[in-house]
Amino acid sequence: MAYDYQAVHVLDGTIGAVPGQRANHLAVHRATAIAVVLAAPGHGAEAAGILVADGAFEARFCGPGEWLVLSEVHAPETLVAELAIRLGAFAFVVDQSHGRVALTLSGPDAARILANGIAVDLHPEAFAVGRAATMLCNHLSVNLARTGIDRFDLVVMRSFAEALVADLKVMARSHDLSVDFATR
Amino acid sequence: MASLISCPHCGVRPKEEFSIRGDATPVRPAPMASDEAWNDYVHVRANPRGRIREHWQHVAGCRRWLVVERDNFTHEVFSVTDAAAARGGAR
Amino acid sequence: MTAYRLASGGLIDRSNTIGFTFDGANLSGHAGDTLASALLANDRLLVGRSFKYHRPRGIVTAGSAEPNALVTIGTGARRDPNTKATVAELYDGLAATSQNRWPSLAFDIGAVNDRLSRFLSAGFYYKTFMWPAAFWEKVYEPLIRRAAGLGRTDLPRDPDGYEKSWAHCDLLVVGSGPAGLAAALVAARSGLRVILVEQDFALGGALLSETTKLDGEAPYIFSRHAIDELHGHPGVTLLPRTTVFGWYDDNVFGAVERVQKHSATIDAARPVERLWRIVAKHAILATGAEERPLVFGGNDRPGVMMASAASTYANRFGVAAGRSVAIFTNGSSGYRTAADLSARGVEIAALIDSRTDASDRAPDGVRVVRGGGIVDTKGRQRVRAVIADRGGFEEMIACDAVAMSGGWSPVIHLACQRGGRPVWSQALQAFLAPEVGDGLVMAGAAAGHYRLSECLDDGARKASAIVEALGRPVAGFERPVVGEEVDPSFTALWHVPGARSKAFVDFQNDVHGKDLGLALREGFGHVEHAKRYTTSGMATDQGKLGNVNAIGILAAMRGVSPAEVGTTTFRPFYTPVSFGALAGSSRDEHAMPVRRSPLHGWAARHGAVFIDAGLWYRSSWFPKAGEKTWRESVDREVRTVREHAGLCDVSTLGKIEVFGPDAAEFLNRLYCNPVLKLPVGKARYGLMLREDGMVYDDGTVSRLGETHFLVTTTTAMAAGVLSHMEFAAQALWPELRVRFLSVSDQWAQMSIAGPKARTILQAVVEDDLSNAAFPFLAAREVRLKGSLKARLFRISFSGELAYELAVPAGYGEAVADALMRAGEPQGLCAYGVEALNVLRIEKGHVTHAELDGRVTPDDAGLGRMMGTSKPDFIGKRLSTRFGLTAADRAQLVGLKALEADKDMRAGAHLLKDGAKPSTVNDQGWVSSVCFSPTLGTHIALAFLKSGRERYGEKIIVWDRLRGVETVAEVCDPVFVDPENRRLMA
Ligand SMILES: [Zn+2]
Repeated sequence: MAYDYQAVHVLDGTIGAVPGQRANHLAVHRATAIAVVLAAPGHGAEAAGILVADGAFEARFCGPGEWLVLSEVHAPETLVAELAIRLGAFAFVVDQSHGRVALTLSGPDAARILANGIAVDLHPEAFAVGRAATMLCNHLSVNLARTGIDRFDLVVMRSFAEALVADLKVMARSHDLSVDFATR
Repeated sequence: MASLISCPHCGVRPKEEFSIRGDATPVRPAPMASDEAWNDYVHVRANPRGRIREHWQHVAGCRRWLVVERDNFTHEVFSVTDAAAARGGAR
Repeated sequence: MTAYRLASGGLIDRSNTIGFTFDGANLSGHAGDTLASALLANDRLLVGRSFKYHRPRGIVTAGSAEPNALVTIGTGARRDPNTKATVAELYDGLAATSQNRWPSLAFDIGAVNDRLSRFLSAGFYYKTFMWPAAFWEKVYEPLIRRAAGLGRTDLPRDPDGYEKSWAHCDLLVVGSGPAGLAAALVAARSGLRVILVEQDFALGGALLSETTKLDGEAPYIFSRHAIDELHGHPGVTLLPRTTVFGWYDDNVFGAVERVQKHSATIDAARPVERLWRIVAKHAILATGAEERPLVFGGNDRPGVMMASAASTYANRFGVAAGRSVAIFTNGSSGYRTAADLSARGVEIAALIDSRTDASDRAPDGVRVVRGGGIVDTKGRQRVRAVIADRGGFEEMIACDAVAMSGGWSPVIHLACQRGGRPVWSQALQAFLAPEVGDGLVMAGAAAGHYRLSECLDDGARKASAIVEALGRPVAGFERPVVGEEVDPSFTALWHVPGARSKAFVDFQNDVHGKDLGLALREGFGHVEHAKRYTTSGMATDQGKLGNVNAIGILAAMRGVSPAEVGTTTFRPFYTPVSFGALAGSSRDEHAMPVRRSPLHGWAARHGAVFIDAGLWYRSSWFPKAGEKTWRESVDREVRTVREHAGLCDVSTLGKIEVFGPDAAEFLNRLYCNPVLKLPVGKARYGLMLREDGMVYDDGTVSRLGETHFLVTTTTAMAAGVLSHMEFAAQALWPELRVRFLSVSDQWAQMSIAGPKARTILQAVVEDDLSNAAFPFLAAREVRLKGSLKARLFRISFSGELAYELAVPAGYGEAVADALMRAGEPQGLCAYGVEALNVLRIEKGHVTHAELDGRVTPDDAGLGRMMGTSKPDFIGKRLSTRFGLTAADRAQLVGLKALEADKDMRAGAHLLKDGAKPSTVNDQGWVSSVCFSPTLGTHIALAFLKSGRERYGEKIIVWDRLRGVETVAEVCDPVFVDPENRRLMA
């Protein structure tokens, strides 16, 4: 018997792709490695310092002493191992590559589309490029990161990914939006 | 009820992101404290009008427990602090 | 013909003719018309019947305060009842119907109520429908509901979409008249983020109907330039067709935008309405002022309208309200209307001024009756004449329209929605907004500055102050040169004496002057009492026109000032908002997100029937060909697990990883059973209590490392337990060095249960799974053949030899498929939560059916788990109180039905044999039931008083809902393998 397990993406068969590269685009990432870093109690500052100083990874704020680290180049176990080496006793690193789904919404109407479900002021002066936080999008909690003036990443619990994509399509109903898996 | 709460970790957020547990003033008694102390802590709550302290959790955000000091008549919010910081604990 | 379209003038597009229908009649208007202006242009004065007396009613206003001209627009599922014709933008194909009439508008049977009106006085409902009480539900209420009420709604599903959006700004300006535009210009030029909201479809407010020149031109020219400029500022959002309906805490405003309410064809890609939640650092209310009606006899006859409305229809829409218009005024505004109408060639029948000493000048040739008043109007479905009275001398004046002006009330509703009370201004004879802090200020006519120059100055001044408060340099605003303007001063006249017929105060709810007198005489003179007694101000218009007059009348009757009477409470919504807009996109699956297990696809491929469990869809059972009922499938699944093996999706359980040097100590305080000495690589059943000693949740605790644990929760309590743990860690014991994270979504988890479980699992797992190497309660990482890492727990809910295997979620389906293939020779089947439930009932395992918040560990037969020697844990202290240790508490038992053909239901109560059902005789309740294929009978888990001492007793299971009594035998709750031989195998 051959045991070569193939992983499926939670949105395989349910993404409801809207083809093309329209003015606004929602890309679902297939194989982003995602880790959660939890600072060891009393070592929040050290953990944050290491994450900031190390340019190799982009850490996104979730809450005090808690960050999401995303990587498009590492395998999940490599990402966890690399982070664990760098952070040592200052943090616990948990693989969440299968627990979360990363999406990128880009386009001139991106902030306006998000305002149909998100209460946070996304004006570039209020939520600048590089900022990230966890917030409510309609009924779902998502981690939102601004990666460009017209570009946002959303990270959501895997079991809610289908609902989030369905919501984003409705939020973008008045705007031109294409939806598909990201091509690497 | 405030429409917006300023989370000390996340910034201004709509009240929908939070869940409210209730009075933040009772302190959990020592294990062997009197029956009265435990009965008060578990079962007895004042229902004052005016300035109150409540435990709110930022469930859809940073998930931290916060102490919100507010006026339940005027709806003014005086302060929002981290519950652990309020207890002087480590984070 | 009386009302008609003027030959020229107005801001309508005469080259664009629009067809519409009213009660089936084909009519036409022009782009830029409202439904009301188009109806007037077609001389349709009669547009509705009143609420109580079914009196014929016409158009009274040209705006959102309209009490009478409420119509139903649209057909089928797109019917919008109670739409104000005065704000409804005319569009091609608009289909409007009148309301509150039967069988037709012109001939309405309900109008007999008007003849019976002496029996329909204020308080009529309260007095008449008092008794017999039994008549309320069957007779009175249906009768009232059919007779009363205005438009009717329909039940077909709303086919359109709605949207809810958040917006943020430095300054929100409500109203785009002169004050609002000046404020928006100053703020925009100063670089602020500005949102300008206008309820009309055209921006400009009063400037669209104003005739005073600005810079020598018609004022709408100024508004167009201003709007063009605002469009060019990147920080400015203009929202026409948008009504701000509420002001909420923290300067959050609710507004509804009518995105596609002005079109017969709906673009499905866009919402029809959008609900805005606007977070504003500052807000300026430039909402203008509302003209007050005069309360005179017959003031509700079609053809009687507000003087400002007559001006607006003439100036903005190019429509004359009549050929010969009588004007009744208590101030200068009536003269302005006289000038506006005269200038457009409309005859003024007379200008009746209640004041004797006014210095206003009427247009040449207009007869002015000073110190006079109207006491009655004549005509049937439209006004033909008025009876004017001056010093006791009556005179009939023929006319086909009446324009009335009773003075002005600033529109202050929004400013009073958060508890601030309006303040009476003796000078202005009107209520002004209270001081509510610097987050919201009034400007222009809304602040009592009525003249055009004042409005422009005030708007600019208020915006400048806000720019300064935000620490920015203020940009300049050069006010245009204002031509000859009118100061609309007036002398208050709450009601006109000598009324010869009903003088209405609240048109929509049919409240007239005498009703208020009756309310006062009967002890309901307080303004809040009078409102409810007479229903004045309780209609959909919330008394926008009538309230101030009602207050003035009450004040006059009580001999006090209106300040002393005060106002009723202002609350959102300023105008009605549709439920569709309030719900936004939260409909169907968008109202409650669907959660799917990582094994959903696997279950679906095996034919699972799914069931909602909270947000989750869980596989319930897996029917096979030939199985006709769910029971057949479930019985087969249970037997297969007991004889061979089964695979069940348990991914929905909550999973929380706990880290830190104090992790063990933290969990030791969280669970009632000891955790400290749990060895690495082992799992343990865990029970959490509430602080009051009742069971909160159960699950397993696995120690993956010295300072690393994994705990599971029930599916239902996953979110609650996480919050509970966070509270304990952050608010109770912040000194404990512990961190944790929900990892529920990372893992697909499957239970493999049954005597063949080990054989099947060993086929895919690299590690040795022999009983010695992987004993009961072992919990650790294993490697699957092909090198995928997984977590394996030897725990059992079914009572069989069982394992739970967790793999990263994306691999769940592939691993489940591999197990199904490996298990095929062993007879492995997929089983769902129904079979899981039967298996656990047979084994006497509890779920939240048992742990319902009233149950202690001892009640559930788990008292031995309590770590009583631990210094502290949540729930320890109150577990020892007397009531929780009493001997007659209901304890978990098993029940076996003794009558083969009778089942039992959860929720049934237990009675001693022969006892009558009563609270005193109640012996307990049934919590879970099933048919046990293993025992071949119906069994149950139940809570029975002192139950553990009563094994062998016959008991009655009393099901009141179905009227069924079943005799059952009390037994040990563990029906299967009480020695645990199977799970240790
Ligand atoms: Zn927060």
